[in-house]
Amino acid sequence: MQDTYTVERLDRPSTYYTAKKKRKYGRDQPDDRDGAGNNAEEDDPLKDATSLYVGNLSFYTTEEQIHELFSKCGEIKRLVMGLDRFQKTPCGFCFVEYYTHQDALDCMKYIGGTKLDERVIRTDLDVGFQEGRQYGRGKSGGQVRDEYRDEFDPGRGGYGRAIDAERRKEEEEYGAGK
Amino acid sequence: MADYDRRRRGGGGGGGGGGHFNNRKRRYRDDDYEDRRPQRRRYEEPLAVTVRKQVLSIAESPVRRVEDDVATIAKALAENYFDHDLTSGFVDLAVQLTVEQPLKIPFVAAIVLLANVQKPELTVDVLSKVGESLQRRLDLGEWREVKLYLRFLACLQGIFEGDGIFTILEELFSRAADLQMKSSEDSLGLELVKVILMTIPYAMSSSASGFETQASALLEKTDIIASTAHPLEALVDPFPSAEVGAPTSSESALALLQKHMQEEAKSSWELSCLPRPWKGNRSSEEEDALNAAQKHPFPQVAVPQVVQNGARAIFPEVYFSVYGEQEIETVPGPTDTAALLIRDALSDTINVLDFNRMIAAKFLTDVDCYFAPDTFVKRATPFDKLREVTGDKATWKPEDVIVDAAFGQLMQLPSPEHKLVYYHSVLTETCKLAPAAVAPSLGRAIRFLYRNVDRLDLELSQRFLDWFAHHLSNFGFTWKWTEWVDDVNLPEVHPKKAFIIDSLDKEIRLSFSKRIKGTLPVPYQALISEAKDKDAPDFKYNDESTPFAAEGKEIAQLIRRKAGNEEFTPIFEKIEQDATASGLSDPAHASTDAYVTSICWVGSKSLSHVLACIERCQERLLALSSTSPTCRKQIITSVMDYWKDQTGVGVVILDKLLNYQILTPASILEWVLIDNVARGTLLAKTWSYELVSHTTSKVAGRVRSIVGAIRQPGLPGEQQGELQQALARELETMKNLFSIIQDAAVSIRDGNQDEMMESSDALRAQEEDLLKAWGGKWARVFQRKYAVEDSWVREELAKPIPEPETKVDNDAKMEEVTKAEDAEGENGAMVDDVDLIA
Repeated sequence: MQDTYTVERLDRPSTYYTAKKKRKYGRDQPDDRDGAGNNAEEDDPLKDATSLYVGNLSFYTTEEQIHELFSKCGEIKRLVMGLDRFQKTPCGFCFVEYYTHQDALDCMKYIGGTKLDERVIRTDLDVGFQEGRQYGRGKSGGQVRDEYRDEFDPGRGGYGRAIDAERRKEEEEYGAGK
Repeated sequence: MADYDRRRRGGGGGGGGGGHFNNRKRRYRDDDYEDRRPQRRRYEEPLAVTVRKQVLSIAESPVRRVEDDVATIAKALAENYFDHDLTSGFVDLAVQLTVEQPLKIPFVAAIVLLANVQKPELTVDVLSKVGESLQRRLDLGEWREVKLYLRFLACLQGIFEGDGIFTILEELFSRAADLQMKSSEDSLGLELVKVILMTIPYAMSSSASGFETQASALLEKTDIIASTAHPLEALVDPFPSAEVGAPTSSESALALLQKHMQEEAKSSWELSCLPRPWKGNRSSEEEDALNAAQKHPFPQVAVPQVVQNGARAIFPEVYFSVYGEQEIETVPGPTDTAALLIRDALSDTINVLDFNRMIAAKFLTDVDCYFAPDTFVKRATPFDKLREVTGDKATWKPEDVIVDAAFGQLMQLPSPEHKLVYYHSVLTETCKLAPAAVAPSLGRAIRFLYRNVDRLDLELSQRFLDWFAHHLSNFGFTWKWTEWVDDVNLPEVHPKKAFIIDSLDKEIRLSFSKRIKGTLPVPYQALISEAKDKDAPDFKYNDESTPFAAEGKEIAQLIRRKAGNEEFTPIFEKIEQDATASGLSDPAHASTDAYVTSICWVGSKSLSHVLACIERCQERLLALSSTSPTCRKQIITSVMDYWKDQTGVGVVILDKLLNYQILTPASILEWVLIDNVARGTLLAKTWSYELVSHTTSKVAGRVRSIVGAIRQPGLPGEQQGELQQALARELETMKNLFSIIQDAAVSIRDGNQDEMMESSDALRAQEEDLLKAWGGKWARVFQRKYAVEDSWVREELAKPIPEPETKVDNDAKMEEVTKAEDAEGENGAMVDDVDLIA
């Protein structure tokens, strides 16, 4: 594929994977500058990706809703809901797998950043679902972002859990309304 | 590198990268990190970078005079020609902008035109690079890009020696004439004529003069090709006549374009909508300099002797507008010579920029910047204010023009270039960019389509429906339902009522029933049954009065605890014995019903649940379905009966059962169109259309993937033969399936279901007519779908098989990839199955 455009492409993966790689191999590793970039491109794990990570879902959004929207980009092979590690209830993300790479790219371009269930959802190319990845990695079982959020989000369980726990503790100690 | 990078460190030199919404996490470091860092030495931006930015944003600002910007950039380029970075950067950018941001072509060309006065060397560089790119696209048969490069060159007509652009246009015409001579069904010739007709106006509005004769001579020749109706035109008519074989109601875009250009020729090529950025307020000296500047030969470009077509099939186009019925003209009418010029530039912009819908939407909302001043009224002028426009000033609303262009694509038959959802997303983004201006325009577009929904081609009314529900889901599900409230009382099979029912159903699929009910006026509430509120439908065997209630419950228990196959057998036997005893004609149906209904119920928690369930029961389901066609249909009945209030879920399940080959395509088609068609009532339901069109596109996808496999370079002869046989088999299957649909739909259209009709005299004559109309619509759509597939296969097989790759040439490789992707198309699902067939 042509690699420069006069306009940014929406079907490029986020920095999640490149950043992860950097973390893994340390920041001081020589990177693209001395030609290592060519190698990296060859074993780019996302170059044929057919899966997407979908984020910022409401906890109440169902598989059927997701299917209805995402099948506009092609037939869906598999849909895996992200679950709270302990309660096994949806915790606001999922993996959508298509049959083709092109469908996944189209989904990035046409669906990522639009609304589902009245929330703007986020899509990112993904290497594919593996058992275990469906669970939130936050301390309390959900996604990490729902631990410390200090805004109230009714679609994602209100306040962040850690913050909520703290508030409750305070209320217990000092009485409500303080 | 992307120039529209909105990330903090984006722009100029940054690496490529993620969508801007992928990266909005603000790390705590971001805020105070920079304060602590010692300030860098002041950095002066290299000229190449500055000019790049200026060129990229040319004409984008409504407050700057673009003529001045053009002149400034031309001057900088001419004076710094020695700066290699600057010069080569500009040349590359000019080539790229032409095909990526086509609205800017006249402006970029004007830069070259002005710079040519001082530095003709720069022109030589530009022409050679553009010539190369044009040649490559010509060879590949990428006609849109050919058209755009020719447009760029046409804008430069004033600097060419001799006839300039007209020579190559003549050559293109002779190819078109050859093609048309060979076959009246040829559509590539039409495309070439379109390219010619879309190039002439840009040459005639350029700084060149004295080419009227050449233009008229060409127009005379193109007339016969452009004005003759193409046999496929009737197939792509958005408003087909109900009578079979009646002439098309819409005029072909090409015929219109031909007329427009002939009009323009008569009025000495006024072409008032096209911009002339090279003009400016120049003194006569400067004017002379422009005329006296060095001339150049037209780039060496050869039109291949045998022209071919790229990846996309060509069909005749129809000029579609949603603003045709208004008292005040808010978009150029079909008789206006600006209509297709503007539409063409906007359609290309939309299709070329599918990789960034936000930017596509931005160009659209800035449409008034890219055409002559005063072509449109001021942005966001309310419709009612248009009455106050006096004199012969234009009343065209920019918002209407862009919404019209987007719908023109969404409603293109047989299919637009990209997935339909792309056009949804462009409309969503334009609405987000300028809500107050665009929303009322969309409102009028929706009213037009709704008003005409009964005349609209069925496939298009389905697209409208799908877009409408999806669009509302992005904007809080708000719509003025009150204005259609009278239509709630229409019969269910009336196209308007059907539209309302199905829109609500689609809204609910994207949301949930309580939410949608909350957006509706009272009269609509009754359209949403209480049963839709339930998360999972009831299990009929929980009701003791249902026959085989006890057995049904037992089966559900067995499925739930993943019991072995042998445990089911006695229960099935019992049901069948009891059924036989009570005189049921087909006892196996009773057990199948109990089994499938139980699977649905046990799996009702989510799609994953039901799929897991089906997978576990796959063996038994396959065994059941293979016993008889009626048994397969019983499976469909049980699924759709269980999900009767949420038919969308049922359709997905049937789709999966088809993948597992538990159902056959024929069983689905017959179930919908014969067994349960209820004199045509079912044809008014979107879910039945979805079911049938999913099924046919799966079948077609299978054919396409075999064709793709046959066309693999370097395939051994033996395998080739096997694949050819498989293809012949699949083509036969496809043909038979389409004729099932055709026969059934035609018989409803022609009212051949007499015996049934007599038995229901309650049905009023009006409803009978509506049902016939549905039959006609279905027949049309699937006849077209078959014709499209059939001609695709023929054209694809006629193309030369690509040589096995020896040397990796980058462009060729890219082409390979796009082809492969296109072949897989929407039906990638079937690719896996090719091995099974072969």
